Amino acid sequence: MVNLVRAELRKLLGLPTAWVGLVLGTLIAPVIVLLNAPYTRRAIAAGTLTDLSDLGLRDLGVGLIGPMVLGVIVVSSEYTSTGRDAPGARQLTATLAAVPHRLRLLLAKTTALVLVVAAQATVTTAATLTLTQVLHGEHAPVPAPGRVAAAILYWTLTALLAYAITLITRNGIVPLTLLIINSSVVSVSYLLTKVTDLASYLPDIVGAQMFIRGSDFPVEVHPVTAGLVMTAWIVALLAVGAVLFQRRDA
Amino acid sequence: MITIDRVSKTKSRTRILYDVTFEAHPGRVTGFLGPNGAGKTSTLRILLGLDSPQSGTALICGRPYRKLDRPLTTVGALLDGSGAHRARTARAHLRWVAASNGLPDSRADEVLEVVGLTGEARKRAGRFSLGMSRRLGLATALLGDPEVLVLDEPVNGLDPAGIRWMRGFLRDSAAQGRTVLLSSHLMGELAEIVDDVVVIDKGRVVTHGRLADVTGGHRTLEDAFFALTATEAGGPW
Repeated sequence: MVNLVRAELRKLLGLPTAWVGLVLGTLIAPVIVLLNAPYTRRAIAAGTLTDLSDLGLRDLGVGLIGPMVLGVIVVSSEYTSTGRDAPGARQLTATLAAVPHRLRLLLAKTTALVLVVAAQATVTTAATLTLTQVLHGEHAPVPAPGRVAAAILYWTLTALLAYAITLITRNGIVPLTLLIINSSVVSVSYLLTKVTDLASYLPDIVGAQMFIRGSDFPVEVHPVTAGLVMTAWIVALLAVGAVLFQRRDA
Repeated sequence: MITIDRVSKTKSRTRILYDVTFEAHPGRVTGFLGPNGAGKTSTLRILLGLDSPQSGTALICGRPYRKLDRPLTTVGALLDGSGAHRARTARAHLRWVAASNGLPDSRADEVLEVVGLTGEARKRAGRFSLGMSRRLGLATALLGDPEVLVLDEPVNGLDPAGIRWMRGFLRDSAAQGRTVLLSSHLMGELAEIVDDVVVIDKGRVVTHGRLADVTGGHRTLEDAFFALTATEAGGPW
């Protein structure tokens, strides 16, 4: 199993797109904190920004593009055509020839993705929170370790969400477009919460309540419950993806 | 040793394989012959555990491919393309494949040398020509020094020198005791390489046996093939 994880780590980190996800995802949040610093200072001074408990943690959201890209390409790179001469040929053939036991392969892929994203999340969370302390330390309390851990978990679960969806669609473009639009341009999940309270339990919305305390959630969910609900989503989607991957012809 | 026993497959409600049965033996090159669309690739994909048959078994050394531990040390397979992601260099591709089967990194450079790609080790697979892709695919197949080789249209896309090299390579492999199964629709090429022949047409094995027996009373393997498959030579194209 160690060999398989090592191979999957090499595969993932050997893709230029993976490095785009890694670098972007790691840098965006700290850079935003830096760029927003003058505005944040003014808002604090003017008293318009009163709830400071989420400062820093809230900025982590924009970096989620990183784990999304990583989660998608770890699967989609298997399905992209390897060249003009053989349009039907894909890396998946080489992968399954090397590792024909499909569930073991998925386990190795999942482990490699979790390791990479958890490391990325740890670095970017540490950088973002440290920067927040340096810039606004006198106003922003240091978040409890549990909240920091929950933020890292949220990143990792988001990568797994993207991964599971791509396992089902076998194509990276659709899930990546939907996930990125949903997390940045228009949050369809968030709009849905205006229609029905049930939407508060969608994975991206409920997951954020693991570490964000802000009051703009229509339904307040305890952080532990939030973590469990998001995990349940991921487990269910991964199970569907795994069954399809096991049964489908490659 | 490869044993394919009554393998049937239906794809999109169309039956593409009907009780395909044949064997390939160690120390011999077995040619799997048939026109395009006859079911050669479908059979090989089932043999390699990529696709599942509706019924029948396909075994390598007595075991289904999916049950093989570190399969590359038993079977080397070459299918369409190189199998390398186009953004990866030849060496990076070979190294992850090697790692997955517990093989040392040094194997990557060794097999690149065997197929004559040492100079292209740092080139991205997406920039490879068709012939180079085939060589990289073959290098991948050779990583684990396997006793069985399964090659789908190995001479496709190779230049005359490449075809000559491949012929020598396959003969040598069989001489060393390996089981070699290769598919082709190029009868002329095959007649000079193979010991045994399996002819498939429209999803059915129409004959199999030693090259001399299959060629039988016909002048060439090609004549025998057209007689057996009842395909009009020089058909409508």
